[in-house]
Amino acid sequence: MTDAHLVLDHLEKRFGAGPPAVASLSLEVRRGELLGLLGPSGCGKTTTLRMIGGLADATAGHIRVGGRDVTSLPPHLRDMGIVFQNYALFPHMNVAGNVAFGLEMRKRPKAEIAQKVERALAMVHLEGFGHRKPRELSGGQQQRVALARALVIEPAILLLDEPLSNLDAKLREEMRGEIRDIQKRLGITTIFVTHDQVEALAMCDRIAVMRAGELEQVGTPFEIYENPATPFVADFVGRINRLEGVRDAAGDIVAGSLRLRAARAGAAGKVTVMIRPHRIHIAEGAIGPEWNDAAGTIRRATYVGDVLSCAVECDGTVLTVERHTHPGQPIPREGEAVRLAWRISDTMAFEA
Amino acid sequence: MPIASRIALALLLPAMLVNLAVFLLPMGNLALLSFREANAGGAMLEGVTLATWGKMFSDIFYAQLVLDSVVIALSITVLTLLCSYPIALFIYRAPDRWKNILIVACISPLLVSAVVRTYGWMVILGDRGIIAAMLRGLGMERAPRMVFNTTGVVVGLVEILMPYMILALIAGFGRLNASLEEAASSLGARPFAVFRRVVLPLTLPGIMLGCLLAFVLAVSSFITPKLLGGGRVFLLATEIYDQAIVTLNWPVAAALSIVVLVIFGFALMLYGRLARAVA
Repeated sequence: MTDAHLVLDHLEKRFGAGPPAVASLSLEVRRGELLGLLGPSGCGKTTTLRMIGGLADATAGHIRVGGRDVTSLPPHLRDMGIVFQNYALFPHMNVAGNVAFGLEMRKRPKAEIAQKVERALAMVHLEGFGHRKPRELSGGQQQRVALARALVIEPAILLLDEPLSNLDAKLREEMRGEIRDIQKRLGITTIFVTHDQVEALAMCDRIAVMRAGELEQVGTPFEIYENPATPFVADFVGRINRLEGVRDAAGDIVAGSLRLRAARAGAAGKVTVMIRPHRIHIAEGAIGPEWNDAAGTIRRATYVGDVLSCAVECDGTVLTVERHTHPGQPIPREGEAVRLAWRISDTMAFEA
Repeated sequence: MPIASRIALALLLPAMLVNLAVFLLPMGNLALLSFREANAGGAMLEGVTLATWGKMFSDIFYAQLVLDSVVIALSITVLTLLCSYPIALFIYRAPDRWKNILIVACISPLLVSAVVRTYGWMVILGDRGIIAAMLRGLGMERAPRMVFNTTGVVVGLVEILMPYMILALIAGFGRLNASLEEAASSLGARPFAVFRRVVLPLTLPGIMLGCLLAFVLAVSSFITPKLLGGGRVFLLATEIYDQAIVTLNWPVAAALSIVVLVIFGFALMLYGRLARAVA
């Protein structure tokens, strides 16, 4: 990659004995890109972010920003803006004081600081809040102050550590769009740590999925969702049906009572089959050759407004099927016999 | 008056009565005592007089006594703070499983009475003590005197007050957390700037609480100045003791006690003002 702005080169972090928290992680982030570090808690994503920010020492490996090795620089010389999960606003300073802090540390003239603080607060829609104390602000407003404080120093890299996890669902969605807009407008290279796959899919240019200190897959949200490299990625990103089966020499897979074909051919042997619930349809009429199908009985139908989720038992194997609701479509009854169909191209098989 | 308030008052009454009987009445008695006069044998003379207070305000000895006491107590407070602050910070930042152990270790000296600890300091600081021996070993002709003077009193009291100071500091560190320091350094603050702009302001409530406690305890301390001062260091508490027990001049002892009370009042007022300003 020619345009790499931030390069992680075999980065490793060990805490005492035992497996490393981050194991030999290599990653390149393009200039102006928003890259998500996605994974379950304890996968090493926050540790990775802390190493990039200089808050944790790397046990081995290198971090380069624009070609310069910053691995051994202390945080105050790294020029990175960090937004912490708990915002970490200074409680003894007002909003303007918080935002001005980084500029004061850079010994900028007073007039320039005042002007930049005002502009930064305007950017996050907090004009006129400068004199308030952080504790007088709502969670969403505190989040905006934290963002303004990190951005006002015009850092080389912006690091976001689960910045939305303390907000309620509605606000989270709003901030998602806002952070993304600001990041795009400023064109700032950004690392975004999250355990929320929806957040990662919605905001990021590319997503790096981590598991137990290692990278599972790096790709665009589309690639991650549609072409997961491993069962873990498929399972972690989005809801999924997971079946264990065996592939025979002809490429047919037998999983429990089901016989199916998968998108990609592979060696015979044990396989894990994964199908997204919303790609399975309750079939009406003839089923073409590019489809897998199965007969089953509805065991449970859950209506949640926009989505209808059904658990369908196909001779011992239970598949979850989802579809958007429609006023004209009746909600299936429990016990109803149905025929399920899903495209072979939507059937992912991973060699176990 | 609503029923709830009446019940509250009724419940408070016993405690108020006890306080009145065992605290306010004796204090009043003490105040009255300062307006009497005693003869050389300690017997109270008849009548109310301002003579004792007159002596308080005219005799330079008493002004010097108050000034010395306050200055020494303040020096002890500052030194106790300087010795305790790094320890308190270390304990506050320690992982949880270590925290309790470290706190217990810090306050364990309180299990040994101040008298015993003071005697310990007399041995350590004495002319044949370990420190004097070390200084002689380093080639010093005459080791400086470290007991029966202000130095001894200060050293002893600083050590004795440190557990209280450490506890008060830790109790007042609640607003400090690691991510604030990390945020500051990520914004470009050097370690010293992080301390001055973030750690220090956020630990100020603890510092003030600890200083109030240490100052009050230092001004009213008696055993340590008495033993380590060797009768050469004149402080309010020791003077009150001498006047009451040795000279048998109870009115002077009473007047000095009132002076100590007034000093406490000022300290509390100052603390209240500062606490409000910081919050």
